[in-house]
Amino acid sequence: MSVFLLQRLGQALVAIFGVMTLVFFIQRLTGDPTYLLVPETATQEDIEAMRRTLGLDQPLLMQYLDYLGDMLRFDLGRSFVQNVAVTEIIASRLPYTLQLAGGALLVALVIGLPVGLALAIWRKHRSTNVLMGFVLGAQSMPTFWSGILMIMVFGVWLGWLPPSGSGSLSHLIMPSIALGLLSMATYARIARSSVLDELSKDYVRSARARGVGTGRLVGKHLLRNSLIPVISISALEISQLLAGAVIVETVFAWPGLGQLTVQSVQSRDFVVVQGIVLLGALVTIGVNLIADILYSVVDPRIRKGDGA
Amino acid sequence: MSAVMANWRRLFVPGEGKGVPVGIFVAIFAALVLVAIFAPLIAPYDPNTQNLLGRLKAPGTEARGTYYLLGSDELGRDLLSRVIYGARISLSVAILSVLLSGCVGTALGMLAGYRRGWVGIVVMRLVDIFLSIPAILLAIIMVAVLGPGFVNVVLVLALTRWPRYARVAYGQTLSVAGQPYVRLAKAMGAGPVRMLFLHILPNIIAPIAVVATLEFGLMVLFEAGLSFLGLGVQPPMASWGAMLSVGRNYVSNAWWIATFPGVCLFLLVLSVNLIGDRLSDYLNPKSR
Amino acid sequence: MTRTTLACGVAFAALFAAGGALAQDFTVNLVNEPSSLDPHMQWNPDSYYVYRNVFDNVVTRDDAGEIIPQIATAWEQVSETEMVLTIRDDVTFHDGEPLTPEDVVFSVERITNPDFGSPQLGQFNSITGAEVTGENEVTLTTDGPYPVLLAQLVKLSVVPQHVVEEVGDEAFNAAPVGSGPYVFEEWDRGVAVTLSRNEDYWGEAGPFETAEFLAVPDASTRVANLRAGTADLIVSLDSDLAMQIENAQGVQVLRAPTERVGFMGMNTTRPPLDDPQVRRAAAMAVDREGIVAGILAGGEQQVGQMATPAHFGYVEGVEPIPYDPEAAAEIVEETGAGDTPMQFATSPVFDQRIVQAIQQMLSEAGFDVEISMTDMSTYLQKARAPEQTERPYFSFGRWSCACQDVDGVQFPLLHSSSSWSRVNDPELDALLETGRSSLDDEERLAAYTEVQSIVQDNAYILPLYQAVAIYGAAGELEWTPTANESLFLNRMSWSE
Repeated sequence: MSVFLLQRLGQALVAIFGVMTLVFFIQRLTGDPTYLLVPETATQEDIEAMRRTLGLDQPLLMQYLDYLGDMLRFDLGRSFVQNVAVTEIIASRLPYTLQLAGGALLVALVIGLPVGLALAIWRKHRSTNVLMGFVLGAQSMPTFWSGILMIMVFGVWLGWLPPSGSGSLSHLIMPSIALGLLSMATYARIARSSVLDELSKDYVRSARARGVGTGRLVGKHLLRNSLIPVISISALEISQLLAGAVIVETVFAWPGLGQLTVQSVQSRDFVVVQGIVLLGALVTIGVNLIADILYSVVDPRIRKGDGA
Repeated sequence: MSAVMANWRRLFVPGEGKGVPVGIFVAIFAALVLVAIFAPLIAPYDPNTQNLLGRLKAPGTEARGTYYLLGSDELGRDLLSRVIYGARISLSVAILSVLLSGCVGTALGMLAGYRRGWVGIVVMRLVDIFLSIPAILLAIIMVAVLGPGFVNVVLVLALTRWPRYARVAYGQTLSVAGQPYVRLAKAMGAGPVRMLFLHILPNIIAPIAVVATLEFGLMVLFEAGLSFLGLGVQPPMASWGAMLSVGRNYVSNAWWIATFPGVCLFLLVLSVNLIGDRLSDYLNPKSR
Repeated sequence: MTRTTLACGVAFAALFAAGGALAQDFTVNLVNEPSSLDPHMQWNPDSYYVYRNVFDNVVTRDDAGEIIPQIATAWEQVSETEMVLTIRDDVTFHDGEPLTPEDVVFSVERITNPDFGSPQLGQFNSITGAEVTGENEVTLTTDGPYPVLLAQLVKLSVVPQHVVEEVGDEAFNAAPVGSGPYVFEEWDRGVAVTLSRNEDYWGEAGPFETAEFLAVPDASTRVANLRAGTADLIVSLDSDLAMQIENAQGVQVLRAPTERVGFMGMNTTRPPLDDPQVRRAAAMAVDREGIVAGILAGGEQQVGQMATPAHFGYVEGVEPIPYDPEAAAEIVEETGAGDTPMQFATSPVFDQRIVQAIQQMLSEAGFDVEISMTDMSTYLQKARAPEQTERPYFSFGRWSCACQDVDGVQFPLLHSSSSWSRVNDPELDALLETGRSSLDDEERLAAYTEVQSIVQDNAYILPLYQAVAIYGAAGELEWTPTANESLFLNRMSWSE
């Protein structure tokens, strides 16, 4: 077991190293930030001078070695554009990203789970189909459209919520809904299938035979037992939510990592992009690693095969 | 074979309390595909002809000899014609990217699950790596290196989505490869290509098909997102997503620009999602 | 389970307090957050909209665009290469220390020091020396005659030597100290910059107690914020978004003709555009009237030269190349120019309505032009490629040097040495150099008149229109936006 663990951990580290190396080099295929940093009137010499200041005149391999050295010292570097430490920039954005991801998850769970439950329990009723149509419909609109419609209706015409920005709970509501709608259907599906799964089990049947009512059955047993797959999918959904917020954050001027990613990629702020990707890789690959380890506990065949 | 056909019919005819009545959505999807195929025959005008004096005309108005049934856009182009031609772009981007990412992802996933060992490790860690790179970064890199355009939108989408298929194919292959009949075939000397395509693929194609249908809707939305970020197909060519991302700037003074392509896009994604949902119910006996 | 609870907890941890909009708190929506608040670092609108309120410049421009005193009360060109500035003696920085001639010298030396690596270096590197030459007197030396020096000093902010040297460049950027009408309060990274009124300002104090600058990247969201009352002033709008504001209650559109010139650039070194006839055809194919009246319709003026009446060097009475699509089509037909596929390079920041309109007009004349839209950085890499012949066939731009002098427009776009130029004409180069180095206004004007006729005869570039800056504002705001696109809070007020 521990050998497998170590191997799998080693692989994860190699994968993270791979991501960082790949991102380092492919970013530099896209040119460099100097043209965006200098004013329009800058001459070719000014541009060269700017490149020297940023250290971008060095051979690529030297830059890479420098980067690796910094990584080993846990130094993520400084932003080209803002001239501020990357860790500071990311740390200022992270709370907003977590708030938004949390809000979105809440929306998805609060709507998705009951819908899934209803679909499973009243599966004989045709009317529940409307519910599924609703959750599927909610994820069939591009967020930049549903976002601006929400802003116009609730922010401008009704004036119930601030149209955009951050700073209070009321600011968080619309972006959370816009983002949460996307994963609502996933939860509804999982909740439905896991409740159906539970319903077919012996303890449910015997409880029913003893005359336990549906309400009590759901409250006492079903919900708790069918939550396990929901939680395990949430781990994956969270890393999706962290990444998927790019458009929602842009539309709602929400100062999270999604907006930062777009801006940094577009302004060729390589160092910031590397920092964001590293964080993303740690989360994504970390979650995968945990999932793999859990599976291997459940199903030892995987362990044997993978290690061979 | 006839049993399969019967099952397929059951899939689309609403049975007692089973899933969503999906026939109507199949019809919508088919109608949109037909619109895309026959766009030049249906569209009343050239979708790219501008009329700077006929900008932002409301539906049902006429300007300089052009009758704008669905109104005109920000450059005085006929919105109906653009929506009709937009079907081509939106559908073909989605179909091509699903095919490309599906084939690549499935092939790699099967290979990883079948060979395991270092091949499996390399492929699955590659999956991790690709999942960790933000799609927007890949999109900008493709545009910077290869130039913008239709083909690159498809490539970007395929490049970011193949890991999804690879994971499913990998997991399915692992479980199928342990089955006695597969072992038997291997013992009888079937080569790897034969094994993969004749014995494993047919047994894992169903879940892959479900993933592909759900991905199809996502691809339509992703393409729209790329257009919103200015990385989509090149103007004046327009997908529904591109029209929508322009039209959203006009919600309060020219609502039609966003609404018509938006509704089409919504119907397309919704119908594909519902078909996918039904398909997954059908293939997953537990939820029946 | 714990993971979910944690996430919910974080969501609820957000503050409840929503800000009520008081007239004393002024909220501005920018596109992005400032990249720097150190006025000697980045020079882009989102940065200088903010820091120009924190710092005073050596000189400034009034609402009519005339150069007027700010930190320098008087200036005198004492020789071809020397200018003497008289410095105000009653200005204090926000920390209470007086602003001295030494601070002015320090500011000049800081921004021109190559080791400091200011992106603005190119605007000031003609200044080779600055020294205190008397009580309240600073003498600037240039490397040669430099007629636009004063216009450049409009953009040179004065920073306090004692603060910069004490805290270092980095801490100064994080918490800048200036002498302007507003005091830096807080920079909540990625969210907002807050300024408060400088009650001891030597000049006209600002009307608002505090001002907050927020980054709102999406234009329709900015409009929604304004209409909902959560923003008092929003920037970067196009004419169609302005129309939405005009139709709404309680908000207004403010427009100002700028010194920006909209133009279509052509690569005169790449066939078929190396043929003057073909370039003329492209120029004749473009319907400027259609663009200005049909799409923009916000008071933009067509121009026939790469200058606006606000520029020094504007030539009176120029007749532009006429719009004649039939003649254009004939030339394209005769020369076979339509056989070469050409790209129209652009990026989302440019008005795509105009780009698409021009592309359509060129196509109708028979050119084979396709739009190639990439992100800004990729676009710039092409537009400023080291080899002239690699720069794009066609492009659309809106150029401003923020100096109101044609040298700042025409030299970078037309002189063969510039990284933007797609023109290679020694005669033109010589004239542009004369215009850049002569101190005699008449001689300069003569040179630019000559430049204009060469550019037009050869159809080197197609000037389109003088751009108008569009702002959305709360209905009660009184403010006259200026041609150089600055956002001085102390020149605004609330109407009664």
